[in-house]
Amino acid sequence: MKRARLPLGLSAVGLYFFLYAPLAVVVVFSFNAARHGVVWQGFTTDWYRRLLSDELALSAAKNTLLLGGFSTAIATVLGTLLAFGLSRSGLPGQRWALRLLQVPVFIPDIVFAAAMLLFYSLVRQWLGLFELGVSTMVMAHVTFQIPFVTIVVRARLAGLDPALEEAARDLGANAWQAFRCVTLPVILPGVLAAAMLAFTLSLDDFVVSFFTSGPGSATLPILIYSSVKRGVTPEINALATLIVLASLAATLSVVLLQRRRRA
Amino acid sequence: MRFLTLRLLPLVLCIGVLTTREVCAAEPRLNLFIWSEYIDPAVVAEFERRFTCKVVIDLYEDDGAMMAKLQAGGAALYDVVVPPDFRVPALIKLNLLAPLRGENLPNLKHLDPRFLRPAYDPEDRYTVPYQWGTVGLFVRRQADRPLPDSWAAVFDPARAWGPFVLLDAQRDLIGVALKYRQCSVNSADLGHLRDARDLLVAAKRRSVGFDGTVGGKNKVLAKLAAAAIVYSGEGVRGVVEDAETAYVIPREGSVIWVDRLAVLAKAPNRDLAEKFINFCLEPEIGARISNFTQFASPNLAARPFLKPDDLKNPAIYPPPEVLERLEMLEHLGSTARLYDEVWTQVKAR
Amino acid sequence: MLRSARGNSNLPGSVIAPLGCPTTTRRPPLRLALLATAPALLWLALFFVGPMLLILGTSFLSRGDVGELTRPFTLENYRRLVGFGVFGFESLYPLIILRSLALGGLTAILCVLAGLPLAFFIAGLPPRWKGAALTLVVIPFWTNLLIRTYAWQILLSPDGWISRIAVALGTVESGAALYPGAGAVLVAMVCDYLPFMVLPLYASVEKLDWTLAEAAADLGARAGQVFRHALLPQIRSGIAAGVILVFLPATGQFVIPDLLGGARTVLLGNAVQQQFGPGLDWPFGAAIAALGLATVLAGVWLYGRVTGGREEVGVV
Repeated sequence: MKRARLPLGLSAVGLYFFLYAPLAVVVVFSFNAARHGVVWQGFTTDWYRRLLSDELALSAAKNTLLLGGFSTAIATVLGTLLAFGLSRSGLPGQRWALRLLQVPVFIPDIVFAAAMLLFYSLVRQWLGLFELGVSTMVMAHVTFQIPFVTIVVRARLAGLDPALEEAARDLGANAWQAFRCVTLPVILPGVLAAAMLAFTLSLDDFVVSFFTSGPGSATLPILIYSSVKRGVTPEINALATLIVLASLAATLSVVLLQRRRRA
Repeated sequence: MRFLTLRLLPLVLCIGVLTTREVCAAEPRLNLFIWSEYIDPAVVAEFERRFTCKVVIDLYEDDGAMMAKLQAGGAALYDVVVPPDFRVPALIKLNLLAPLRGENLPNLKHLDPRFLRPAYDPEDRYTVPYQWGTVGLFVRRQADRPLPDSWAAVFDPARAWGPFVLLDAQRDLIGVALKYRQCSVNSADLGHLRDARDLLVAAKRRSVGFDGTVGGKNKVLAKLAAAAIVYSGEGVRGVVEDAETAYVIPREGSVIWVDRLAVLAKAPNRDLAEKFINFCLEPEIGARISNFTQFASPNLAARPFLKPDDLKNPAIYPPPEVLERLEMLEHLGSTARLYDEVWTQVKAR
Repeated sequence: MLRSARGNSNLPGSVIAPLGCPTTTRRPPLRLALLATAPALLWLALFFVGPMLLILGTSFLSRGDVGELTRPFTLENYRRLVGFGVFGFESLYPLIILRSLALGGLTAILCVLAGLPLAFFIAGLPPRWKGAALTLVVIPFWTNLLIRTYAWQILLSPDGWISRIAVALGTVESGAALYPGAGAVLVAMVCDYLPFMVLPLYASVEKLDWTLAEAAADLGARAGQVFRHALLPQIRSGIAAGVILVFLPATGQFVIPDLLGGARTVLLGNAVQQQFGPGLDWPFGAAIAALGLATVLAGVWLYGRVTGGREEVGVV
C-alpha cells in the first residue's frame, strides 16, 4: 500500500480544503465592504463595530450562553449519575435503558423539536405550565444532552478499575463516600469532556431552540437563521467569524489540556 | 480539576441571579410580534422613552409562521401582533385576541373611514389598521426591454424576465396565480385551485426559490435574481436603494391587503399594549412609520407629515384605475384546507 | 472520537464489562445504582418518551378549520402520506419519502467515498500527527452547522468563483446559480456529515490487520483486489456504523435543504416543519414525524446488530 501514499495524501489535502472552505469564506467576507452580493469591494472592520453595538445580537449571545450553561449543568449531573448507575451489571431493564439512550442520539432534530412543541402546548392546555421561553428551551436541551453525557462518561467508567472502589468499601466507606471520594475524581476528566460535548451541542442547536423559544429568547443560531432567510448580511459574517474563532479556541484548549495531562 | 468546578458553579449561579433580576426589574415590558423591517426603530425608541418601558421585538417573515407561533403558545407571551386582514377571523375564532377598549384608543378618529369596520371585524372590536399595501413585482430594469406589465414575467417561460424569487406567503402567492388566470383570489373552485397549483409548481421549478418579502428584495438588489414578488413597501424601498430597479403592479391585478394591530388574549401587559396601539395611530407617529416602511398609511390625519413624494408615488398609493383591479383576501373557513393543501404541494413538489 | 469498549461478545447488547475485571463486582450496590439512574430515566420518560407517544397519538387525530386538534380519530393522515389527498391520488408524499431516503443514502455513500482515503491517510501518519489530523477533521463539526451551511450560499452564488469556474468549463450556463438546488444541498450535506463518517472509519482502519493485505499482495493480487478481499471485510462494520451515523440525521435534515435548496428541495424534515409551522396541520405533521421515528428505531436496531452491541456511539 506504500504506492498509494501520494494519491492518498493529495486527496486528503483536497478533503481538508473542502471541510475548511466554508469557514474560510465566512471569515474573508466578514471583512468585505460590500453590503449586498459576494463581489469583493475592499477591506473593512465596520461590520464588527456594528455587531458589537447590535442589541439583538448581544441579547442572543447572552441567551445562548445562559441556555448552554444551565442545560449543560443539569444534563451533566443527570447523565453522569445515569452512567454510574448503569455501570452496575444486572439491573432490571438495563438493556432497554441502553437502547432508549441511543434513540435521542439518532433521531432527526426536527422530529424531536416537533414532539417537544406538541408536548409543551398540550401540557400548557391541561396544566397551564410551560410557557415558551428560556426555561422550555433548557428542558428540551437537557433531554437531548443526557444521552451524549451518559455515553461519554460510560466510556470512562468502563476503564475504571473496580478494585479502587472496593478497596474504599473495604476500608469502611459507604457507597456514597466511595463514589464521591474515589470514583468521581477518577472519572472527572470524562465528565468534563462530556460537559464540553453537551455544551457544544447546545450552542450548535438551531432546530429544537427554534421550536421551543419564546419572545426575546432568540439564540445566536436563531438570529443567524432569520438573517440568512432575509439575505446574508455582512454583520452575520462577522458574528459567524467570532463564533468560529471561539469554537477553535475551545477545541484547541481542550486538546492542549488533554495533552498536558497525558505528559 | 475540582478547583475548576468549584469556581464555575458560583459563576453559573451568578449569571442566573443576574438575569432573573433583569426580568423582574420594575420597567414594564412590551412584547411586540411583527414582520421584519416593519417598524422604524426610532419610533420604538420614542415609545420606550415616553412610557418608560422596554419594547422586546420578535420577528416573522410570513404570516403562516406567525400563526404557528401564536397557536403553539405565543398568545400568552406577546402583547401586540400585526396580522394581515384575512388572518383576523381565525385569530378571533381561536380566542387568541383580546377585545380593544375603545376609551383607550382616542386616536382612532384620525383613521380613514375606508379602513374601519371591515366585514371580518365589523365593530373594530379586535383590530385597527396599521399599514396597507399591495403585492407586485420588484424587477431590475433591462436596457433593451420595457418593464414587464404582466404576471407572465413569472408564469410564462416564453415571456420570462430572468431568474425570479417567489413570495413565501401562502395566500398572497396563490392569489397572484389565480389573478393571472383571471380568477378571484378567494376562489373555492377545485379546478381553479388545481390550475393555480400547476402554475405555481411550474414557476417554482424555474425560480430561484421562495423568500420572504425582505429576502426577495435583497436578492434582486444583490443581483441574485432579476425579479421578485414582494409587497409594495419593499419594492419602493428597493427602488430608493438602487435606481436601476422598479416596482410594478401587473395589469391582471393583484392582492391588496391591510395589516392590523391587535392585542393578544393573554397579553402580559394589556394596558401598555393599548397605549402602543394608540401611539401608532398618532398622526405624526403614523407618518413616521410609513415614511420608514414605505407602505401606505391608513391614517388621514398623518397625510401632512408624510413625504410628499411618497404621497404622489403610484407604487405606494395606486391610482383609482389600478385600485379597481386589486382584490382583498378573505377568510375562507373550511376552504382554507384546500389552500393549505395547494401550498403544501407547491412547496413540496 | 468514537470509543469502542470491548465487552463480553457472547451477550450482544449487554452491559459493557471493563477489560480484565472480575465478572462479579460489588460496585455500585443495586439500591444506589437504581437511585442514580432514576432522575435521568424519569426525565427522559417525561421529556422524551412522553412527547414521542404524543406524536404517535396526534397522528391519528384530525385538523380543525383553523388548525386546532380535533377528533375524530382517523387513519386519514397516513392515507395522505401514502398518496390519497383532497385532489385525488398524489405521488407527492411517497416521492418526498423516497427523495429523503435517496438524499440520505447518497450523502452516506459520498461520505464513505470521501471518508475512506481520509481515514487511511490519517491511520498511515506517524503517531504524533494522528491526533492533530483527527482534530482537524473534527473542528468544523464543533463550529455551528448553520454557519457552515450558509457559507455554501456564498461559495456557490453566481458571482462566486466556483460558479465562474463552472461557467468557464461550460458545465453550467452563464448567470445560472449552482445554488439553490439539489446539488448544493448534497455538497453541503457531505461537508457537514463527513466527520461523522471519518471517525468510525478511522477507528476500524486503525485496527486493520495488514498482514492479510501483504499476504494477498505476495500471492499476486492487484491493489484493487487486495482492497476488496483483504481489507474491506475487516472494516465493513466501521463502514456500516458510519453509514448509519450519517444516513439517519441526513434523511431528517431540515436546515440544509431549507437554506440551500431555496425551500424547493423538500425532504421529510421540511415536510414536518411545514406542517407544524405555517401549514398548521399538526396531525399530518405528526404522521410524517412518526414515520421518521420508525425509521430511527429501525436504524438503532440495525446499529445494535452491526456493532454486535459492543460499540457505542460517542463523539469525544
